[in-house]
This record gives sequence, C-alpha cells and structure tokens, in this order.
Amino acid sequence: MNCDDLAKALSEETPLPLEAQEHVKSCKRCQELVKALNLPVAVESLPPVTLQQIAEGIATNLRPVSPVAPAGYFFAAFSGVFVSIVAFFVYRMGALAIAVMTPLETVAILTALAVSTGLLAYSLVHQMIPGSHYRISPRLLPVGIAVSLTIMIAVLFQFQHEQNFWGHAWPCIRAGIPIGVLAAVPFWLILRRGAILFPAMTGATTGLLAGLVGTSVLEIHCPNVDAWHILVSHLGVAMLCALAGLIVGLAVEIKGYAVNSLNSNHKGHLA
Amino acid sequence: MSHQGVTPRVAAANDPQMQCSAQDNVVPRQSFADLDRWMERYQQADPDAPAALVGALSPALLRFFRSQVASREQADDLLQETWLRIHRVRHTYRPGEPVLPWIYAIARRVRVDGYRRTRRITLHEIAMELLPERPAPVRDRNLGPAFDTLVAALPQAQREVVTMLKVGGLTLEEVARATSSTVGAVKQKAHRAYERLRDLLQSGEGAKGAAQ
Repeated sequence: MNCDDLAKALSEETPLPLEAQEHVKSCKRCQELVKALNLPVAVESLPPVTLQQIAEGIATNLRPVSPVAPAGYFFAAFSGVFVSIVAFFVYRMGALAIAVMTPLETVAILTALAVSTGLLAYSLVHQMIPGSHYRISPRLLPVGIAVSLTIMIAVLFQFQHEQNFWGHAWPCIRAGIPIGVLAAVPFWLILRRGAILFPAMTGATTGLLAGLVGTSVLEIHCPNVDAWHILVSHLGVAMLCALAGLIVGLAVEIKGYAVNSLNSNHKGHLA
Repeated sequence: MSHQGVTPRVAAANDPQMQCSAQDNVVPRQSFADLDRWMERYQQADPDAPAALVGALSPALLRFFRSQVASREQADDLLQETWLRIHRVRHTYRPGEPVLPWIYAIARRVRVDGYRRTRRITLHEIAMELLPERPAPVRDRNLGPAFDTLVAALPQAQREVVTMLKVGGLTLEEVARATSSTVGAVKQKAHRAYERLRDLLQSGEGAKGAAQ
C-alpha cells in the first residue's frame, strides 16, 4: 500500500482496508490528508424567518402536479417517432440502397444506426429528469457515436474517387437536413415534458438523434455506396444537425441565465 | 437507501481528535429521512410539505453553495433561486427515486448560472471602472473555515465532487446522479482531488489555509 493506493481507497465507499489504515499511521503525508478531509465545515444557520419566507413563497403558489411518466414511456416515444419518420420517408423515396449494398453492409449499418438511436434516446430520457442514473456519460455519448459510425462506415464501404463528388453529395445533404429538422420538432415536444438542466448537451444529443433520422433515410434510399459519399453527405447530415442542436442549446442556456439574472434583480418575490 | 458515510470518517474512527471533527463535517443523513414522502406530498400540494422540505434541505444546500461561492449573500441568493426552480420542475421528481441527487442536480445548475452571472457583472464592473485604484482587500467576515479554504484550491469539478461527498454527505452513486456523470468518473475526480490536496498540504499552501 502506497500513498496513491490510499487516495484510491479514500475515493471508494467501502471502509478503508486494514492495510490503508496501517499506511495512514505510518505516513505523515497521508495523515495530513485524512486530517484535512475531516476539518470542520462552517455550520451556517439560516434564520428561521428566511426559511419561513421561502416556504411561504412556494406554498402560496402550490398546485398538485402529476409526476412525469416512467422512463420507458419516453424511450418508446423517442423510438416511435424515429421509426415512424424513417418509415414514412423511405416509403415516399424508395429503398434503392438495399438492392445495392451487400447483406453484410445492410445488416451492419442498419444495426449500428439502430443501436446509436437507442443509446441516444436512452440518454435523452435521462437528461430530461434531474438526478438520473447514467451508465454512459451523456457528454461523451454523442462524440462516441459519431466516431463509431465514422469508423464503421470507413471499414464497411470502399473509398472511391467520384468525378462529381459535390454534385452527388449536395442533393443528399439537401434532402437529409429537412428530415432531421422535421424530426427535431416531435423530439423537442417530448423533451418539454421534463426539465432540461444543460440545454447545450441536450441540444447536441437531440440534434444528433434527429440528424440520424435523416442519415437512416438516406442510408436506405441512396444507392451511392462510396465511403466518402456516405461519410460526408449521409453521416454529415447527423453531424450538422448535432452542431445546430448544440448552438440552439447554447443560445437557450445564455438566454436562460440572462432571464434568471433579471429575476434575481427582482428578488424578494419569494418573500 | 443505506447510510454510507464519507470514507475518511472510517480512518478518523481510529483517531479521537479526527473523529470529533468528522462528526461535525457532514450533514447527518437522518435529517433527510422521509424526504421522498415529503416530495410526494409536495407534488400533491400538501401545504405542510414546502416548510418541511425547505427546513430539511436548505442548510445542506447553503453549505454546498457556501463552499462553491465566496460570499454568504451570493449563497443566499442561489438558495432562493434553487427553491424557485425546484418548485417549477417539481413534476420531474419520480416517486421512489432518491431525492438528494434530484435536488443537487438542480442546485448545481443554479450555481453554474450564478457563476456566469457573477462573472458577467464583474467584467462589466471592471469595464466601467473610472478610478484605477482598487479597494483595499477586506477580509470577509463570512470567510469559511479551514475545509472551505483548503478545497478552494481544487479545480471546480473536483471541488464540487469533494463538497458533495464531504459536506453534503452524498454517496458516490448520488454524486454521479447529481452531476450527470458515472460512478467511475466521480471516483476518478475524488481520487485526483485527494492526490492534489495531499500535494497542496505537503507544499504548505493547503496547510496555510487549514491553519486560518
């Protein structure tokens, strides 16, 4: 047991093992650390009048509310919206890519899109409710999904050198982005049922999910299987939507705290 | 939810001096008993619920804000703002879920907004400053005790985790929920914070703070 192991042991919830306790006895540095962590914290009492004012301020406005629906309900709503929009546009535009891709490519890319959608919906369901339990960091998830899909496309499809790259890419981008924007509307309506604490993070996640609707439609519809084309004009739709979601979220965050600044200037409304 | 004290307290149990101080440090979990029942009653508009919740949670929230911001006034403002937001989003509490992470997640958001607001005002004040002289530094009467001074040297994210664990008495799982993070990430931050604190104490910076 050394000092580093002790710091690790301190960050666990289990009682300090005997070895660690022995180490604390023999190591002056660690003794200091343990003592410092047990230094007293200011016990600042709140005047009962203040507490009463806050409580009364809340009580005057009190109306019964129904708790939000279970997580499964929202997960089903996100997934349902995703599948419905993809199905509608594929029905309208046709599934031309399925005939061109190999069975392996088809299964792999659709599975990857389905898994990504599930993970993003799962993350959003938890971001709607403060204090939710996360198994995957919601900050890292959109980045992880974008990187994973990029690698997957690069591995699955061949890189070719098209003559008129942007001529082929532009129609796909132009078709995919409106689908993403359209999907973002019902996603936002679902999100409104909860409380979004970090709009930038939630905006990026929602944007990516909405963008993946467009990507999925293009992936099923567009018969161009060049890896560059798929990366830029199919996955690019999802990336652009994620970026737009991030920007909108940041704007909401800045606007939100500006509004709160105004509220705090008119403090006393609780009292 | 079982009581899970802050780990250093276990080590402190062997040292009577440390044990004594440790008992004063963390908000006792017993004071949070029945919070979930009060939250449910709050959602059902029971008029007694706000007073019960405000009375039980405000001291812990004030400590949380006090260890994150400099002045008592700011901490009081943030506390009021937190209760406003709690009231607005009370429907997002799911009965049966732990209350503390839900409350701290909202408090954390309020603290972030408060920090931005303060920074904006400070920047504005400097820009509008007509006289180049700075006022003489005045020691804040409300200056926190040694623990606050010590953790003030930590980066924001680590300070937040240590404060929730040490001052709020939250478990790792609860801190992870409150910070929208994973238990592993919280453990890592706590580990880094403890290492940094040890280095600070050794270099004397922390010891100076602790001696104040």
